[in-house]
Amino acid sequence: MSMPEPHLYLSTGPHIRRGRTTADIMWLVNLSLAPALLWAVLVFGWPVLGITLSAIAGCALAEHLACKVRGTDSTVYDGSVVCTGLLLAYTLPPGIPLWMPFVGGALGVFFAKTVFGGLGYNIFNVALVGRAIMMATFPVEMTTTWLTPGFGQIGGVDALSGATPLVSLTGGPEAVEAAIVGLPEGMSEGLAFLLGLRPGSVGEVSVLMIVAGAGFLLWQKIIKLTIPLSVLGGALLMSPWSPDPVLYMLSGGLWLGAFFMATDYVTSPSTLKGQIVFGVGIGLLTGMIRNWGGYPEGICYAILLMNTMTPALEEWFRPPRTAPKGTPS
Amino acid sequence: MLRLFASHHGEPTFARGGIHPDEHKELSADHAIEPFVPRSVTVPVSQSLGAPSVPVVKKGDRVVRGQLIASDEAGGVPVHAPVSGIVKSVDRGIHPVLVLDMAITIEAREQEDEPTFQEQPGWETLPREELLERIRVAGVVGLGGATFPTYRKLMLPDDAEVDTLIINGSECEPYLTCDYRLMLEQAEAVVLGAWLIAKIIGVPRCLIGIEDNKADAGAAMTAAIERLALDRSDHPVAMEVVVTQTKYPQGSEKQLIQALTGRLVPQRGLPMQVGIVVQNVATAFACLEAVRNRKPVIERVVTVSGRGIHEPKNLRVPVGTMIQPIIEACGGFDDEVVKVLAGGPMMGRALADLNAPVTKGTSGLLFLTRAETNLDRYQPCIGCGECLDVCPLGLEPNKVSQYVEVGRALETEEFGPLECFECGCCSYSCPSNRPLVQFMQVAKAAYRHEAAKQRTHA
Repeated sequence: MSMPEPHLYLSTGPHIRRGRTTADIMWLVNLSLAPALLWAVLVFGWPVLGITLSAIAGCALAEHLACKVRGTDSTVYDGSVVCTGLLLAYTLPPGIPLWMPFVGGALGVFFAKTVFGGLGYNIFNVALVGRAIMMATFPVEMTTTWLTPGFGQIGGVDALSGATPLVSLTGGPEAVEAAIVGLPEGMSEGLAFLLGLRPGSVGEVSVLMIVAGAGFLLWQKIIKLTIPLSVLGGALLMSPWSPDPVLYMLSGGLWLGAFFMATDYVTSPSTLKGQIVFGVGIGLLTGMIRNWGGYPEGICYAILLMNTMTPALEEWFRPPRTAPKGTPS
Repeated sequence: MLRLFASHHGEPTFARGGIHPDEHKELSADHAIEPFVPRSVTVPVSQSLGAPSVPVVKKGDRVVRGQLIASDEAGGVPVHAPVSGIVKSVDRGIHPVLVLDMAITIEAREQEDEPTFQEQPGWETLPREELLERIRVAGVVGLGGATFPTYRKLMLPDDAEVDTLIINGSECEPYLTCDYRLMLEQAEAVVLGAWLIAKIIGVPRCLIGIEDNKADAGAAMTAAIERLALDRSDHPVAMEVVVTQTKYPQGSEKQLIQALTGRLVPQRGLPMQVGIVVQNVATAFACLEAVRNRKPVIERVVTVSGRGIHEPKNLRVPVGTMIQPIIEACGGFDDEVVKVLAGGPMMGRALADLNAPVTKGTSGLLFLTRAETNLDRYQPCIGCGECLDVCPLGLEPNKVSQYVEVGRALETEEFGPLECFECGCCSYSCPSNRPLVQFMQVAKAAYRHEAAKQRTHA
């Protein structure tokens, strides 16, 4: 009986794998960010789509060129760089000139990711480094190009003169009142913020849409609640010092940061206790920056600061062994 | 973390980690055990963990089935002729685990004076020493795959306080169904073998752990326990089948002990330290045959499976049967096959050459196609922490891999490579497909090398 001569591969076990790849995970994360984008288009109009595509294009170009220079296969399709572009766009004001996100994305990926060696080796959250670079490069556009939300008036929203509610938090109750524009008549402030009918950055205005996406990631077991709850808990601890605690908890990028940025695998600790300390640290720092810093938004820098702690936190907080130590025999 | 859904159906399992790989057991589960007799066998002299045995036959010798062909005088276990015939060679050959090993090739020829291994009357009442001796001379080893000499595992030190025997019917590796078939078809013999072991180690309790994907095997074993009523024998043993959740690696000794008794074997410790001895179902069966029939371990059940083999089967083959004739007996395999494994897909060995024999430790021969195995390249660690979640021991494969990658293997001890038993849950789950088990092995080897260096300098 003739037998086929197979080409046999050798390796140590296991010889099977679960099948969910890094790319699968990144594309699922991107999918989970879709509700927030959809919502942004509905309340701020088509330009936000342009902002998002511009940021993704900048990130992808930097990644692609880095791979070319390094002489490796392009990693653009692994979804990670698209995720970075999405998250960067979500932190930008919806009226920002369309070319700026491209620049921010490209610089962010270059300085925070490729110079460290690409996926898996970066220390800082790439999207947030992009945002930080943009804050330094385009300070005026990053803080004044807000739009008045208008549900369903795609393309017909107005530029907002003045500060966002979060910016005005430090100015006292009247300033907050003045900043809350575009709310549907008779709707309470808390509900409007929960739904996302308020001025703010592209992808972070609707707590509901962010939580919906996060729910998908939780269901898919891509993220756990440990870090997000720790971030929100840490922020809550700082809420008594805020002029408007409800608005403080529901505004800005707190929820987007807690569920989608603080949970970034590479830049957060992977042990349970490490994650709790990391998350609470982010929440506390966010509150400190918002309440006493000279800066309305705190989550971006809070995450970047805690990113620096990640290697130490993993070193200090180790997973417990299942079995007790053995007695020397 | 808070576990909201800690157990389903209230069935026990080990507390931490583990995975649920696709089972693929349906390929061979319904195929009853068939005997297969090859025209010749090549029996490696290393049939157990530890030293090889020493051949006591030479080329041209006539041997009968069950005759001693390699002795344990220099370590190892006694090895017996699996078939009657003529010794063709005593030479180096391929070993599925050790790569190369001394092996005895016998050309099968029926002999008139072949032993029939009839039941020996009075075996139940033999003294403990005689029972142990029969198990030793029969060359019984752990047939789950570990191949540790069974008599040594049963010869407990005087100060050991053991109260429970666990019989391992978990068979948690995907594809494998040899233990499942044995429990279905030989339930009484397995239960009797378990009772025998309980008698040898002097314990009044025996728990038989079976995963809930083999509920019918559990029922067959429970029925056998009731029929045999060994709790009323001269050495009464309370025997009980415990159906556990189906979760890999439930069949690992320490995990099974935790699932069935809640006891935790200390790091790098032995089950004995928490009062337990664990034996696999096939080993229990072999112990019974060794004592009752004075039949040495000369054959075993092998699951031949995988999407690449045309007729998956559970074959009872003589030890030393070459893989090629087994493939022919199973209808051949298709050219999609990219990996051939001895053992299961989690911990089995990939074979480089099909010119290799079945040993006492070969529980399965798997012919895996490209679609069902993993040949993907690996990527950097993205820090997802999945390996930390699935490790049943609470080790840190991610850290070991990162240290080993940059040449710092000797700084990894705190992350646990020396405790790792290579179940493979980490590699299986890694989204970046990192060969974490292999990194663990590299770290272990570095420490072994370092220890050897220390000894030579001392």
